[in-house]
Amino acid sequence: MKTIKLLVVAIAFIGFTSCDDDNDMQLVDTTSEKISNLHAPQQGGTDQMGNQSPISGDFSKFDFATGLTTTSATEWDIAFRGTTIIINGGISFGATDEPIRTGESAVYIASGTLASVTGVDVDLLIQDSITGYAILTGSNNGWYTYAGAPTHLIAPTPGKILVIKTRNGRYAKIEILSYYKNAPSNPDAFVDEDNYYTFNYVYQPNEGVTEF
Amino acid sequence: MARRITLILFICFFGGFLSYSQEIQAVVKDSTKVNQLDEVIISATRTVRQLSSLPLPAQIVSKREIKSINAIRLNDILNEQTGLTTVSDFGGGEGIQLQGLDSQYTLILVDGVPLVGRSAGTLDLSRITVGNIKQIEIVKGASSSLYGSEALGGVINIITNTPKTGFKGKLNYRIGTFNTHDIGASLSYKKEKLGINTFINRYSSDGYDLIKTDNLNTVDSFSNYTITTKVNYQFSKDTDLFVSGRYYTQNQDYNASSTLKGESDIKEWNTHIKLRHKYNKKWSSYFEFYATRYKANEYLDNTDDTRFSEDFFNQLLVRPEIRATYNPTDKSSFIGGIGFNHETLDRTDFIAKPEFNSPYIYAQYDGNPSEKLNIIIGARFDSHNEYKSQFSPKVAVCYEINDKISLKSSIGYGFKAPDFRQLYFDFTNATIGYTILGYNAVSSVIPALDVLGQISSIIVPISEFNNELKPENSIGINIGADYEATSTLTFNINAFRNNINDLIDTRVIANKTNGQNVFSYYNVNKVYTEGLEVNAKLRLNNQLKISGGYQLLFTKDEGAERAFENGEVFARLTPSSPSFQLKKEDYFGLYNRSRHMANMKVFYIVSKWNLDTNIRGTYRSKYGLFDTNANNYLDKYDNFVSGYVIIDFAINKSFNKKYALGFGVDNLLDFTDSQNISNIAGRILYGKLNIKF
Repeated sequence: MKTIKLLVVAIAFIGFTSCDDDNDMQLVDTTSEKISNLHAPQQGGTDQMGNQSPISGDFSKFDFATGLTTTSATEWDIAFRGTTIIINGGISFGATDEPIRTGESAVYIASGTLASVTGVDVDLLIQDSITGYAILTGSNNGWYTYAGAPTHLIAPTPGKILVIKTRNGRYAKIEILSYYKNAPSNPDAFVDEDNYYTFNYVYQPNEGVTEF
Repeated sequence: MARRITLILFICFFGGFLSYSQEIQAVVKDSTKVNQLDEVIISATRTVRQLSSLPLPAQIVSKREIKSINAIRLNDILNEQTGLTTVSDFGGGEGIQLQGLDSQYTLILVDGVPLVGRSAGTLDLSRITVGNIKQIEIVKGASSSLYGSEALGGVINIITNTPKTGFKGKLNYRIGTFNTHDIGASLSYKKEKLGINTFINRYSSDGYDLIKTDNLNTVDSFSNYTITTKVNYQFSKDTDLFVSGRYYTQNQDYNASSTLKGESDIKEWNTHIKLRHKYNKKWSSYFEFYATRYKANEYLDNTDDTRFSEDFFNQLLVRPEIRATYNPTDKSSFIGGIGFNHETLDRTDFIAKPEFNSPYIYAQYDGNPSEKLNIIIGARFDSHNEYKSQFSPKVAVCYEINDKISLKSSIGYGFKAPDFRQLYFDFTNATIGYTILGYNAVSSVIPALDVLGQISSIIVPISEFNNELKPENSIGINIGADYEATSTLTFNINAFRNNINDLIDTRVIANKTNGQNVFSYYNVNKVYTEGLEVNAKLRLNNQLKISGGYQLLFTKDEGAERAFENGEVFARLTPSSPSFQLKKEDYFGLYNRSRHMANMKVFYIVSKWNLDTNIRGTYRSKYGLFDTNANNYLDKYDNFVSGYVIIDFAINKSFNKKYALGFGVDNLLDFTDSQNISNIAGRILYGKLNIKF
């Protein structure tokens, strides 16, 4: 009985998909949201005295379909820990507490404003791999610029838009705005708490559609 | 706003002086014309040369000016010259910026031979006392055709005193704010064939602290000594020998944090021997030998007296040179030379004890094909064991249109050899964990780090480091005019452009497993500096001298210009607002460059009271020290260091020509910017005593 139900659903779904192809189906609108204070703490790393210890701790996962953080093992698209951002696609780099990737997420960093990135260049999409994350770590390699002494601020590099393929073939683009709690307009690395992501994103919920 | 007010104050202040001077002019109009001796300059051509007909942009700072402003170190006086500003580097050294070029591109000479010891590229000008200086010569524009490496932006030559007939002695002492003492004594003896000149200086200070909230001083207390001796011996009318020695030593506290304390020590010696022989009216030759060593050691101890770190830097330069001058007629002269530079450096964090060997040859023609035309043509060839040989030509022309106006133009090639650090550095920051590698160190150190498991990914393949790192080089063009409006009023104007290629910069070549990067040096940038310099000088009746200078400057990185043009650069209005695209005109230019710099000086002598007084002001417009909005470029949305005005005042009175008392205030307005400018200490009051015998 259960199998039949599933079959019906599957057929209906395939039917819908083919309708989609025929453009008979109305596309769902994109969603534009702002996420504030996504907390992505980490244990270890380089402390204020410069001592280094192994980085650990769970990644904070985010799901574009719901627009919420999640603890699900599979239903996530990107995940944050400290300044590191990983995606639900590719192979583990082998870091401590790294979640298992089950989806087909991929990402690249485009130059522009959130509005000016209007499409996805699928050829540029890459996944996490053994040699490194798709979003490179380190100042100016990926999404942020570290100012160094004396301010020690971590600022999202202006004009860097993360273009993301979600775990199930949808697309999203995000612009990170702040790494500090409550996105202060004048952050102070010694006062404001870090590991708090604030970002704007646009999610294209229609599978395979590469325009925003 | 405050900035604008200080600027207005500055203008009003000096405007007042100007109008005052005009009144004086009206009064003294009918007095006898003052004849001024034409100044001579050595550095521009390596021959004694009249300044006025020189086709190169050059300035001379006289002993008289140095004395009347009571300067003690070289940075005090260079800071006040048009188009020059002193900038401090992260190592604390204070170097000179000339025509918008960094301090590492200006060669600093003492009596024609270079000082060494640029641990981070900057030659610290406060190392040099001005107590025994006869004049300072500043030649702008690429001068590698005579001097080789480093003379890319220009040359500053410090000419020290020569003994005068008889036995003379001088004592001077200056005491000032921050418990600063400068004591100097000089003895000079000359009789017939022998002349000896000895000078001793001690300079010490408690230093100062601009940021009171931390436990560190901005400048820690220090004391240093300079001892120089010069001997001239004339064997005959045609043969003379010059021997000089200089020794400098400094000890300074070195406090890196509340728990790390230590000392830094500098020891430097120079020895310079020159034998001149004149064969006949036309031919002369010089045999010159120069050697110098610069040693710096520093250490930091933990609170329990265990050693935290120790650094050393030990550089040696030896240079023999032979040169000859040939003057076939009154109207033309040739100079040619051949020499050899031998340089070694032993330094902490180096992969080797490198040795540079570089033979060189140069020649120059300086002549007047017609009465109104002067031409200088010169070239130099430097061979080198570590990088590509360099050929540096230069041409300069001066044309006298009439008695009042002469046009000057020059074009020259300049280069700066990669320094030891850019080739051999192997340094890993102990606290943060990043690594900097010299170009020649990459191929051995990266594989070694990889074996240790410290490399996570290589970004620039090692094979890219198989070629040699190229010297930074430039073409400098200067076009200007001198205008003698009246016998008392002169103007000069000079437009310049320096195109620099193969600028050496750092880039990330690999990522480390600790999340940090490995950096190395590479030739990449093309930058240019261009601008205009204007000077005006008014002398009245030998009593009043007013001078003003202004430099307009644009400095750009061509790569950055392109990035802005292509719309690749973005910014945010606040650190957490959405980014927007920047336009071409939003690019400000290179760091630490001010678009406008100006100075104004008034010197006044009251002969009947044996009194001289002066007031000087310098203005520097806003500049950016580093990128503050995370896009890695200096654009108009960055935070800038505000423009500022420094006003200095001095008054001196002499008694019986033997004693002189002086008093002065440097930085009258007590300007400081504790966040951005570490080398401006605030208001300094001082008193001075000179005794001659």
